[in-house]
Amino acid sequence: MTTDDSVHTDPRSSLPAISRRQLLKLGAVAVPSLAGSTLLFDWMTSLTSADDSAATRVDPIVSSYDAAAHRWGFVVDTTSCIGCGQCVVACKEENNVPLDGEHTRTWVERHSVAPDGSVAVDAPEAGVGGFAASAHAASGAVQPGTRTYFVPRLCMQCENSPCTAVCPVGATYRTPDGVVLVDEQRCIGCGFCVVACPYGARYLVPAGPRTPAGVAGVADKCTFCYHRITRGRQPACVEICPVGARKFGDLNDPSSAVSTILRERPTRVMKASLGTSPRVHYLGLEREAEA
Amino acid sequence: MTARAIGRQLRLDPGAVMRAVADEARALPRPLRVWFGFLAVLLAIGAAGALRSLFPGDKGVGTTPTVEWGLLIVGYVFFAITTSGLCLASSLGTVFGIERFRPLEKRHAILAVLCLVTAFGIIALDLHYPVRMVLGAAFNPSPSSPMWWMGVFYGTYLCFLLTEVWSMFFGHPRIHQAACVLSSCMAVIAPSTLGAVFGVLAARPFWHGPFTPLLMVASAFLSGTALLGLVFWVVRRFELTGFVRAAELAIPAVRQLLLVGLLVVTALVGREVVTGLLSGDPGLVRATDILVSGPLALPFWLLRVISGLAAPILILLVPIAAMPARVALASSLVLLGVFVDRFTFVLAGQLAPTTAVSGVVSAPHASYLPSPVEIAIVIGAVAFVALMYTLAERYLDLAESDVHTAIAFPDIVGIARRLPAPWQHRPRPVEPGEEPER
Repeated sequence: MTTDDSVHTDPRSSLPAISRRQLLKLGAVAVPSLAGSTLLFDWMTSLTSADDSAATRVDPIVSSYDAAAHRWGFVVDTTSCIGCGQCVVACKEENNVPLDGEHTRTWVERHSVAPDGSVAVDAPEAGVGGFAASAHAASGAVQPGTRTYFVPRLCMQCENSPCTAVCPVGATYRTPDGVVLVDEQRCIGCGFCVVACPYGARYLVPAGPRTPAGVAGVADKCTFCYHRITRGRQPACVEICPVGARKFGDLNDPSSAVSTILRERPTRVMKASLGTSPRVHYLGLEREAEA
Repeated sequence: MTARAIGRQLRLDPGAVMRAVADEARALPRPLRVWFGFLAVLLAIGAAGALRSLFPGDKGVGTTPTVEWGLLIVGYVFFAITTSGLCLASSLGTVFGIERFRPLEKRHAILAVLCLVTAFGIIALDLHYPVRMVLGAAFNPSPSSPMWWMGVFYGTYLCFLLTEVWSMFFGHPRIHQAACVLSSCMAVIAPSTLGAVFGVLAARPFWHGPFTPLLMVASAFLSGTALLGLVFWVVRRFELTGFVRAAELAIPAVRQLLLVGLLVVTALVGREVVTGLLSGDPGLVRATDILVSGPLALPFWLLRVISGLAAPILILLVPIAAMPARVALASSLVLLGVFVDRFTFVLAGQLAPTTAVSGVVSAPHASYLPSPVEIAIVIGAVAFVALMYTLAERYLDLAESDVHTAIAFPDIVGIARRLPAPWQHRPRPVEPGEEPER
């Protein structure tokens, strides 16, 4: 084996034999170049997704807030909901959520139960503009005797959440007070949490003028307006609802609205058989319609 | 400084390399130039799609919150499982030393590395922040996530494969033998974990369950074997290195493996359809219905069942033509069938809505159409594998070597033949001072 820089062909193979010195030189150039270029590339592509909303976004972390002292719960009263869609509008405005119906943190469904028991479900543009009587899920005449009710939907903040279990980089996590959040600086945008969610509560943020965390391509979902509840306020959708169909409160407080309802009235959760233990309970939900 | 490459001694400066490549291109036979030109066009299409998809949140893909995993995920799954299948098929030669599978040795390793690198490339384009994936998986491990384990296993698998290729060409037999064994183990573990990525999701009844990893491994075996069948037909057809042994051993061996794989996968697909339609889970029934009589029915029945399973079985069993041509045709149909199978699998799990998700009416089912960007990337990926393998076939020494016999396997059959049969009289052991029995 020679020690100079000349290369000799190894008779055992058709590939060139390289000396250790040449290999080390190559590595010293190639490895930092590769690492540097990939980091540069990542930084450049993240620039294209940043927007002005990052500057005006309220930091959800409040130093004086003791998360362990609270246990947040949510109750949706389907017997009160009138399908006005104000909650959807309030959420989109409060959290800078994209305005289209597909990418939304909360939405309202219309469930139409026909006399034969079949259920038709629709949610035009997430219900943001309400529900026109003429445009019906059954796309035609409404059968006499059809009952209609509205079901607001949002992230269930499951105690046994599939989304936190499947995230490959631990970007989605559960706070001590029971809210599931996404770390937008860690999320890789794989979409595993989106497909894992049984309730369809998640989406990947599209690039555009409205990005909740100031970053596109990451997972997003309802956070119970964490930046508001940590400052003693209610979520925007709860505050705006004209009929009190959405109720939010601390389950550690026996006198809170949600504690009272859960204690005194029959509620149900969605897809209980999956064992996700949602923190969002429903009043008056006759049956789960899977459209 | 010089190096030997593309059949000549090259000075390692850009000008000399470019001139040498141009000279070599001019010296290529015309059919090969046409082939390279065709692949270059496909690669350019793939590159255009890849460039378009680089922007987080604006990748130009056709996925929606309802159908978040689309053609790029299908492409990743297809190439990843093909990698595993190549190792599973060739392990009969590389690990167990069975003579008739020895010609598969070198070619499978190169194809496996190319397929896995391509799979990683496709998934990197699908992810919005791929660099974070590598750093996040290393510094924020998430053992509860099957996707994290999949990343670990496929990353380890790539290391074993690269070791296999390096030791094969640089003559390190013992390292090579060990790398082959480890790669073959990973060839089972990695696609099983890829199946678990889908199989753990209780939210998706069509994917959920223990048969998903099983079907993934079986499909892997099928697609890897089929790719070898296609490659060895090319070796025989163009009389490339080792074509005599390819014709005598490799092609009949691939035929046997394909038949076994086809029968296993046919049984698993049959089970999937029957249990899906008869299930008490309405979500599973709806998803299976979408597969067999809904929007996925045409690709499922035509390309997956008839063309991807039934036709190859018939072609391999019925001597309608010479065996190499039959194996090549069956392999091509099987490869297409496995790709369509993964496509219908990924979509069937999402088109049946779990609920009227995200405000969009998806009754009776959601919809998805691959965007031109996604189609371009998959085309580019196939062209990349074809181009790199053609270069490997032309410029690397793919002759069989003894590198796979470094560790002698016990000759089980020979030992068994020397022992007396159980029903034969065996002499009682002779005590000291005794006369032996006659």
